[in-house]
Amino acid sequence: MSAHRDQDIDLCAGYALGCLDTADRERVEEHLASGCPMCQAALAEFSDASVLLAASAPLAQPGPALRQRVLAAVAAPGIREPEPPAEQVREPVDTRGRVIELRPRRAPFFTAGWGWAAAAALLALVTALEWTQAARLRGELESNRLRLADESRWSEVLNAPAAKVVYLAPTGKGSSELRARATYDPVSRRAVVVFENVRAPQGSDYQLWAIVGGAPASLGVVKADAAGHAMMRLENLGEPKLLAAFAISLEPAGGSPNPNAPSGPVVMLGKLEG
Amino acid sequence: MSLTDQERDHRSLLRVQEGDSRALEELYDRYTPLLYPVAFRILRRAADAEDALQEAWLQVWRRAVTYDPRRGTVAAWLLTVARTRALDRYRSLAARGRAESSVDPEAGARPPEPSASAVHAQLGERVWSALAQLQPQQRQVLEIAYFEGLSQSEVAARLNAPLGTVKSWTRQGLLRLREILPQEEWM
Repeated sequence: MSAHRDQDIDLCAGYALGCLDTADRERVEEHLASGCPMCQAALAEFSDASVLLAASAPLAQPGPALRQRVLAAVAAPGIREPEPPAEQVREPVDTRGRVIELRPRRAPFFTAGWGWAAAAALLALVTALEWTQAARLRGELESNRLRLADESRWSEVLNAPAAKVVYLAPTGKGSSELRARATYDPVSRRAVVVFENVRAPQGSDYQLWAIVGGAPASLGVVKADAAGHAMMRLENLGEPKLLAAFAISLEPAGGSPNPNAPSGPVVMLGKLEG
Repeated sequence: MSLTDQERDHRSLLRVQEGDSRALEELYDRYTPLLYPVAFRILRRAADAEDALQEAWLQVWRRAVTYDPRRGTVAAWLLTVARTRALDRYRSLAARGRAESSVDPEAGARPPEPSASAVHAQLGERVWSALAQLQPQQRQVLEIAYFEGLSQSEVAARLNAPLGTVKSWTRQGLLRLREILPQEEWM
């Protein structure tokens, strides 16, 4: 951890307000990333105060059309990459470079003049579409439908009234930048665990465990994308009363040879309360 | 008087992270009354403020996973995104000579509906009176930095004050604001 200096509290205030010069911002970001508890707490406080400052802006409200524009833009394909159906999912996708049309002013498709010619061309194209192509499209639609059904089944875990959110905390025996959050629904006994900054040292892997009835049970090796993001969806975690915690250990590549005990250090731990 | 409900916001944001657009809709409805005035205060033209806010919500949608609860509330994060988009737009308009010089004559645009903004109006008044209790330099530093987007060295140059003093005024001003309006009174 970069050593805490008194001036860091001043920097946290400027950081919350978003007004630091570059060198100061880099310093405080590095210091916060090293996990200084004093500055983390100060930052949360300053950030609340910046919300108050925002509330001092004179009242105004946008036109009602903005809501529609935002929701339509969010629903537009390509704005956010669909998640692949595999268990581990890559996230997030940086689309900052993508051009987003803020106010689509697209003319209606069948405008007089060229509309009928365009319609004829479209019809010809559709007719020319080979049967196999159509069948492939139908197959894709079906698999998308199944994927969406599966997505909604998993989003139920996150929305479940009884769901518990557990942030795994570093034990001090490994990376301080690794983050993991588990959302566990005791009713369906399913959990979704999201990881960030997954960067296991060369030749090793992180492995997720459930502590059930006092004993660890492997939930699998964490497979992250190039950006260090991963997600694991877990079915049937057993009797809710017995599930006490989630843990992450650092293991040789491929995971612990023993599915019922980590062979390496436990680097993160998150206990389920109640 | 409740402006934010952290537990509820956090759950909505987790759902946005998972791609649930209804959760984004909920956050939109809950926070546009707080975010839009900030964008409007910065840009001073309804069309620009709306464009900035649209960009902000798209960024929230695409980059929700970058929210770190240890750094602050969902409300604070949403504000950071919206303010940054508004300031970026302000700077790009200023570079093209369009900002301020072409202030919309109907700058105020639409007055807010009383019912929708009652909580914000009430809080706004209390924040105003809290700001009035700060030392003038502290208040000035906060307002210039936050709404004009000046960095601390730029604020120091504008106010002809040492950089270290500007840094302390920022800290003292924010802390004082929190003391005057403790969290339980507005969260």
